[in-house]
Amino acid sequence: MRQLFRMPKSNSGEIARSRLKLLLVSDKAHVNPGLVSLIRDDMILVLSRYAQVDSGRLELRLTRMNDGAGEGIPALSATFPIRELTGKRTEECFSTLR
Amino acid sequence: MSEVIVITSGKGGVGKTTTTANIGTGLAYLGYSVVLIDTDIGLRNLDVVMGLENRIIYNLVDVVEGNCRMKQALIRDKRCPNLYLLPSAQTRDKSSVNPGQMKKLTDDLREDFDYILLDCPAGIEQGFQNAIAGADRALVVTTPEVSAIRDADRIIGLMEAAGMQEMDLIVNRIRMDMVRRGDMMSVEDVSDILAVNIIGAVPDDEDIVISTNQGEPLVDTETMAGQAYMNICKRITGEAVPFLDLDSRKGILVRISGFLKRA
Repeated sequence: MRQLFRMPKSNSGEIARSRLKLLLVSDKAHVNPGLVSLIRDDMILVLSRYAQVDSGRLELRLTRMNDGAGEGIPALSATFPIRELTGKRTEECFSTLR
Repeated sequence: MSEVIVITSGKGGVGKTTTTANIGTGLAYLGYSVVLIDTDIGLRNLDVVMGLENRIIYNLVDVVEGNCRMKQALIRDKRCPNLYLLPSAQTRDKSSVNPGQMKKLTDDLREDFDYILLDCPAGIEQGFQNAIAGADRALVVTTPEVSAIRDADRIIGLMEAAGMQEMDLIVNRIRMDMVRRGDMMSVEDVSDILAVNIIGAVPDDEDIVISTNQGEPLVDTETMAGQAYMNICKRITGEAVPFLDLDSRKGILVRISGFLKRA
């Protein structure tokens, strides 16, 4: 019926995907998911001073970085899709910093 | 050369035992000699799924403790003469066996069998450690759910750390109608997230319930799940088999629209 009336596509699969990605990052770092979520929000906040970030599509990933011995150390890598770079630090952020 | 394969998932209830039964039977149909080992001590199930529960006299713990010889404990399958089951003990607990004993047991079986399949218990404690101890290779079973995939990721990490040589993923209970609607993660989504090779996807099929009710694996029957399991078996042996199109819609609306398109 959904197809018959061209109902909008539901997206709980997408919700599952993004919840899972956050969970796996925090599991590997041995921290609570709430903390990773806070780190993510803070990073969005910082980047928002310089650019318009597409926060719906950002990716956080935990990889391993070679430290010259053993299996390496955990490294957090993030990809922030940017809609537009403002080219300068926004004024309102300056004021909140002061 | 024989191969010891552990079927594991982390989370319970995702279909490890059904997968073990079907893959074991499928490999036997392909002509290999196969033994299935139920390593879930205390919660024996593989015998029931295989329909062999009434033939159990000795079990895994009896073999390990030397109460019987291996040949006495192995149960021959009802249909395949080249398929055997080593049942688990129902009245003992996981600590009755240790990883060293399990490794010796599987190594002993290598002499007589092409494939030794271990049905792993849920969890990451001793039962899991026992099951992976002697395995060359792992099949990780998951469903397209957040909880199951999270647990799969955890055990993949544990097995990597334990030096498991080869790991492949089976995505079980996929429902293409829900994937199409956007209400279920796709097989591709799961493989992207876990970064492990997919060896097959099995549709959520009523026939599985019916086959389990009867104690007869459905691998190689004309059902979608039966075909999916058979393809997994062939891929395990190294044959390149294209992935099944699980997206065969049978609804009346689809049939009508298909008819209209043709007209």
